[in-house]
Amino acid sequence: MSVKVSCPGCGGPIEFKIGSAIVAICPYCRSAVARGDRNVEDLGKVAALADTDSQLEMGLEGKYQGVKFTLTGRTQLRHQAGGTWDEWYAAFTDGRWGWLAEAAGRYYLTFQKKAQNVPAYEDLELDGKLGKYTVAEIGEAKAIAAEGEIPYRFVPGSVYDYADLSGPNGEFGTLDYSEDEPLLYTGKEVTLDDLGVPAKVKPILSHEMRQVEGAQLSCPNCGAGLSLQAPDEAERVTCRSCNSLLDINQGKLNFLKALEASDIEPVLALGSTGELQGTKYVVIGFVVRVVHIEGIDYFWEEYLLYNKRIGFRWLVRSDDHWNYVEPLAPGSVEKTGKNAFWEGKTFKLFQRADAYVVHVLGEFYWKVEVGEAVRASDYICPPHIISREVTYQEDSDERGEVNWSHGTYLPVADVEQAFGVEGLPRPAFSNVAPTQVFGQKRVYLYWAILATAAVLLFIFVNIVSPRRKVYEKTFPAFVPTPNTEQAAVLIEEDKDFQLKGWNNVRVTITATGLDNDWLEVEGDLINKDTDEIQPFAAELGYFHGVEDGESWTEDSREESVYVSSPPSGTYLLRLEAIGDRDRTIQTGGVPPIVRPGGQGGQGSQVTLHVVVEQGVPRFWPWFITFVVISIVPIGVVIYHIWFEKRRWYGSSIE
Amino acid sequence: MLRRIYVITGGAALALYGVLAFSGWEFGTPAREKLDPSVRNQPGGYRTHFWYIGSHGGK
Repeated sequence: MSVKVSCPGCGGPIEFKIGSAIVAICPYCRSAVARGDRNVEDLGKVAALADTDSQLEMGLEGKYQGVKFTLTGRTQLRHQAGGTWDEWYAAFTDGRWGWLAEAAGRYYLTFQKKAQNVPAYEDLELDGKLGKYTVAEIGEAKAIAAEGEIPYRFVPGSVYDYADLSGPNGEFGTLDYSEDEPLLYTGKEVTLDDLGVPAKVKPILSHEMRQVEGAQLSCPNCGAGLSLQAPDEAERVTCRSCNSLLDINQGKLNFLKALEASDIEPVLALGSTGELQGTKYVVIGFVVRVVHIEGIDYFWEEYLLYNKRIGFRWLVRSDDHWNYVEPLAPGSVEKTGKNAFWEGKTFKLFQRADAYVVHVLGEFYWKVEVGEAVRASDYICPPHIISREVTYQEDSDERGEVNWSHGTYLPVADVEQAFGVEGLPRPAFSNVAPTQVFGQKRVYLYWAILATAAVLLFIFVNIVSPRRKVYEKTFPAFVPTPNTEQAAVLIEEDKDFQLKGWNNVRVTITATGLDNDWLEVEGDLINKDTDEIQPFAAELGYFHGVEDGESWTEDSREESVYVSSPPSGTYLLRLEAIGDRDRTIQTGGVPPIVRPGGQGGQGSQVTLHVVVEQGVPRFWPWFITFVVISIVPIGVVIYHIWFEKRRWYGSSIE
Repeated sequence: MLRRIYVITGGAALALYGVLAFSGWEFGTPAREKLDPSVRNQPGGYRTHFWYIGSHGGK
């Protein structure tokens, strides 16, 4: 039910349209007027609202989860670090109030909940856990401006403590310590679409126009013109003419200090535009940071990108490697020991160090300054990196803010293409980035495919060409002679056999009785149809003895010879067996053996057993093929090991 | 580039193995030779070793 009162400050009419509203801002004198049971109270005057270029406005109606609401009030609060944010108050038709915080183009809708087991402000631990929430920020806010109707006792200029909580899946919460009992607000990050805000209400056109136009200002130090790309959100800007660092306060520039001259120039010019992941950005800021690790300074560059609808993103260049970086809700990351977990991925701690700003150029959405320090931890899961940066207040190691970001490796060529530039420095071959993906991993997959194909092929070959014996014969015993003209000729002219094409031939000869002797067998497969002969030769030998009390044997009485598939046909096997021509056998490393019979004498009596087979599986050609297809992967494995060592070379983690 | 070269060479090696395996080819097989037809027509012609023109290499 609407209640009308007179402003205690100016007497003007004030209407409390929402029955549960506590404070209304007088539209005439900007007094914050609280209503009590019997009278109204003037809580003081508020400052004029700064234009934050919000897409929301008073009286805007929307629907969230099926319940309609109206924006009836708005406050502006100042962060202890200097920035401001808006809080809108949504009166829902079911009687609830929704707190809609708006900062840097992001919206968080929360509702007051009954607080249980809420720790005292002093007991809060930055980045600590409160149930499913992570304490992402501990700080204080100052109420500076307001309009409309507000559901709590808003006192202009009052300062209160708060903590922001970040949970999984975009859940968000705030602990408000402005009253004796802390107040808990929980909800989640929402989009304008989630709020059912009609598109026609969004003043997009004016945003785009302002983005194009930017804001033209003059440096208070040297008078040079300055163009702001994000005038509503910028907190700091540098003047390139006089190298001054300027503070931005409600559109006004204040000289802070002169920056030291630096010869560091961004490789992506400020003001240049590019398209990354389908979004157009303008480069508005450039920061050089450094970490000191074991006496060595490691520098990297950060390029602040801005898109009006998306907000801020980063391009980070380190050792000529690039990463595209987006903000991450702290509550979406879990960390234990040296690991962090995000979106089902495990990230390994790569580096933990204090990072300092050493050079700034352009405009920034926070109050950046040279010397600014954050405690940074990087966790990697190439091509991804998630970074945790903790900013502590100057006077406290317990208050501050935790920010997480997610980076993705970006090849130099992609950066060049995105920003239409050429000739960006390439990283050296030995320079491996923490997030750089090993580019040859697919070789492992290809090897697995080829190796599987090789195994299947081996099996297939042996199935389609089964082994079969085509001839077997044991020839009568004889004494081989070393005289080639008296060689023993072994042949069964009446026993021919069939050989098929496309099958190899194996001839296995076993010389029983061979004793400390060699035997040379020269054979032929004679094609009776074509008179073609396929010669082959085998050398057999068997030696044994005793040396230093230990017996030894050498060589073998059996030898197999493989020949390529002959043409199909009817064949005869013919063998010539020739004994050892040299009766003194050099056996290599052991005393020579003088065979019975001496030089030119006869050797041992032998019996030859011969088997001819076709389609005999051959392992070695397959194995050689397997080795050939494995050479490159083995090289890739070695390269991969080296690559990973180089990746972790820059890590400060033991 | 390396991946492309590997796939081509690896595939070629596998194909070569397949061709050799299916054709029954064996490395180091001496060349086939042709006998004079008179050897066949001569009784015991295959037995004599004088026609033999193949390798007589020793050990």
